[in-house]
Amino acid sequence: MMKQAQPRQNYLGPAGWVWAGKYKLERYLYLLHRVTGLGLILFVLVHLIMTTVFRIQGQDIWEATMALLHNPWFKIGEYLVVVAFSLHALNGLRLIIQELGFALGKPTPPIYPYQDALRKKRPGTIVMVAVIIILAAAFLFDFLQGGW
Amino acid sequence: MRRTYLWFFQLVTGALIAVLLGIHIVVQHFDAILVFFGVDAAQSTSWAAMTARASQGIWVFIYIALLAVGLYHGINGLRNIILEVTRSTRAERAVTWAMIVIGIIFFAGGTYVPVALLTG
Repeated sequence: MMKQAQPRQNYLGPAGWVWAGKYKLERYLYLLHRVTGLGLILFVLVHLIMTTVFRIQGQDIWEATMALLHNPWFKIGEYLVVVAFSLHALNGLRLIIQELGFALGKPTPPIYPYQDALRKKRPGTIVMVAVIIILAAAFLFDFLQGGW
Repeated sequence: MRRTYLWFFQLVTGALIAVLLGIHIVVQHFDAILVFFGVDAAQSTSWAAMTARASQGIWVFIYIALLAVGLYHGINGLRNIILEVTRSTRAERAVTWAMIVIGIIFFAGGTYVPVALLTG
């Protein structure tokens, strides 16, 4: 019987949360993906409690809860949640495309300077980051217009 | 093998969330866009608008589907982060069961309320 699991490759443990060496664009996106993911979990936790426990108790409690949540600080929080979702969603779609082996490009002979898969995809990654920034700016404009 | 399936479902639920949560956020926040397309979603958090959505089966279905895939995606992601702390299989099993229990509690609560409101 094998009691111990196979040792995981490149295992850094919690130390890898702080620093994993050789940080490039994709590694910062990984960090942001994790931070926004944890933030969205925290939001969903509060959001689910608000929309179940406080909703089932009827109109008065619901309207009091919504009045509390329309406080400007909660509104700023909502804006951050939408930006975090945009980042997590677009970066997640990039990871899905990468993971399932789409958009690999044509194979090239290994001649210096070498083209690895990550570097080949980097122009697309930079476009994705630009789209996230444009979306965040557009949402900020809509937010400041008071549509939320 | 099990880890492969868990990761594959992480990808599938991620793509589903991008669609379902996109709908949810547009309805809740981008009423100007919806007015452009001829849908009036102003005051989406008012009691009237909320009960109107809660009385439509399609909205209840969308919310419960979003709850299911969102809980899986979030809980599996959190589990992956927590399991980076330890390499012991016993701890892995304990964390997995804790996550399953948390998921069932939130899914039960989050399903009971919309179904109770839909059926009166």
